[in-house]
Amino acid sequence: MRTIDVDRSLCDNHGQCAIAAPEVFRMNTDGVLEYEPTFDDALLDEVEEAIDVCPVQAIFLKD
Amino acid sequence: MSTSTVEVPYLNISDPSFAMQSEELRTAREQSWYARTNFGLAVLRYDEVSKLLKSPKLSQGSAKWPAHNGVHGGLFFDWWTKNLLVLEGEDHHRIRRLLNPAFSPRLIKELVPRFQALANELVDAFIDKGECEFIRDFAEPYATRVLTILLGIPESEWPKIARLASTVGLALGVTFKQDLDKVEAAVAELYDYAEELIRDRQANPGEDFVSRLVLASRDGDRLSDEELRNALVLLIFGGMDTTRNQLGLAMQSFIRNPQQWELLAERPDLGGKAVEEVMRTNPTVTWVTREAVEDFEYQGLAIAKGTTVHLFTQSSGTDPRAFPNPEMDLLGEHAPHYGFGGGVHHCLGHFVARADMSEALPLLASRLANPHLVGGDEWLPDSGNTGPIRLPIGFTKRS
Ligand code: HEM
Ligand code: HEM
Ligand code: SF4
Repeated sequence: MRTIDVDRSLCDNHGQCAIAAPEVFRMNTDGVLEYEPTFDDALLDEVEEAIDVCPVQAIFLKD
Repeated sequence: MSTSTVEVPYLNISDPSFAMQSEELRTAREQSWYARTNFGLAVLRYDEVSKLLKSPKLSQGSAKWPAHNGVHGGLFFDWWTKNLLVLEGEDHHRIRRLLNPAFSPRLIKELVPRFQALANELVDAFIDKGECEFIRDFAEPYATRVLTILLGIPESEWPKIARLASTVGLALGVTFKQDLDKVEAAVAELYDYAEELIRDRQANPGEDFVSRLVLASRDGDRLSDEELRNALVLLIFGGMDTTRNQLGLAMQSFIRNPQQWELLAERPDLGGKAVEEVMRTNPTVTWVTREAVEDFEYQGLAIAKGTTVHLFTQSSGTDPRAFPNPEMDLLGEHAPHYGFGGGVHHCLGHFVARADMSEALPLLASRLANPHLVGGDEWLPDSGNTGPIRLPIGFTKRS
């Protein structure tokens, strides 16, 4: 398992992460980000893409 | 509380004299978070623009543009109605996922030395004259040649690409119907370019941007040749005039704020901040258009399905509620602006635009002292995408 952290003071709820890695990130009906802090190694490529595409670079891989 | 007791301001956004940076707009923003316009609602304040930009109740408002103009078929119509900008839901996300890897910030960084060399080459050509027409001599060739560098088209082709993109741009203006034949011919020519690029990279894939798009696949899915072609034309179309106009507006902002220009000349590390501050206070995309997908209520206002909603960027970026000191300040800490839009349609090319402009601005500041207007400037109207068409400036060469 791997762990990520989203810096909520930076996150602006654009939802690009939810497009790149829908298994880990999703936008709720109010348009606010929800995510799984830990995820399976098999999803690492997708999560790295989410990290790359976040317009404000708010997502960090912790380990 | 009934909102009908509050007077809602009205703005005629199609009037050629309508100005974003005006007392009329500031007064309206103090009166209310939104205004009525001759074409839908306008959202004026920061918090409301931020929330509505990402609201699932609104979708891209530009999809029906050709139909509004009585255009229901043809090359432009087919391209427009199938491009990323107007697609929604999974159709949009699928294409965006396949395009994303080519736009990785790490890959864009590798192009920075080419951007610097290009900016220096353009400045070298006019620096000894003490004056230039900033759009013709810098903003336009820089914006266009950055795109040719990104796409791997020979840089010498840039005037032709610029002309074709501007012609397609006529489709977004009020004379769309009269210009239709020209627009169709330009789309056809851009298609030829894009198709040739795709064939070439399919035969000889490399490490470049277009090869990455050609090779992109995810879970066994890939872009068809047609989707790839549509995307390349969208990149040319969406990336060139925007960057040219934004650079022209940056020069205007710094001419108005000479101390900030001097600061940038001394501190080239502030190039990134310069881009953010220019786009917050003087954005080229003055509004982003959305459409209500269902009836809903927002802050006591009933918004009916189908209502057009314009999210104002400059107005939100200088809203005193979010920015107590709204003036441009490269050393200030400010909330993010929406000059690149936001939500699922957030600009795909923003890393490219940020990287190229944050190189260009400090480089210009380090070589040109005291830039000033010398007259003869011409401007696009303030509605939609704005900026200078011609911007003659004088300056002193720094030694
Ligand atoms: C200063 C320069 C630029 C500005 C101000 C800008 C602004 C914007 C804005 C506001 C949007 C959102 C439109 C909407 O939501 O209705 C957008 C979308 C887009 N931009 Fe940019 N842009 C710039 C440069 C670029 C560049 C260089 C490229 C390509 C290399 C590009 C490609 C795109 C694409 C493909 C979209 C559609 C994204 C989607 O719908 O998912 N832009 N841009
Ligand atoms: C690339 C696809 C684009 C779309 C969908 C789009 C949408 C439109 C539309 C419908 C207009 C109307 C022009 C007028 O009334 O004179 C227009 C001009 C404008 N463009 Fe583009 N444009 C495109 C390229 C761009 C991009 C990439 C951006 C962002 C950079 C953008 C933002 C706008 C805006 C906000 C207007 C004014 C909209 C309006 O007046 O209805 N445009 N564009
Ligand atoms: S892409 Fe970035 S800003 Fe947008 S929701 Fe995800 S973490 Fe937040």
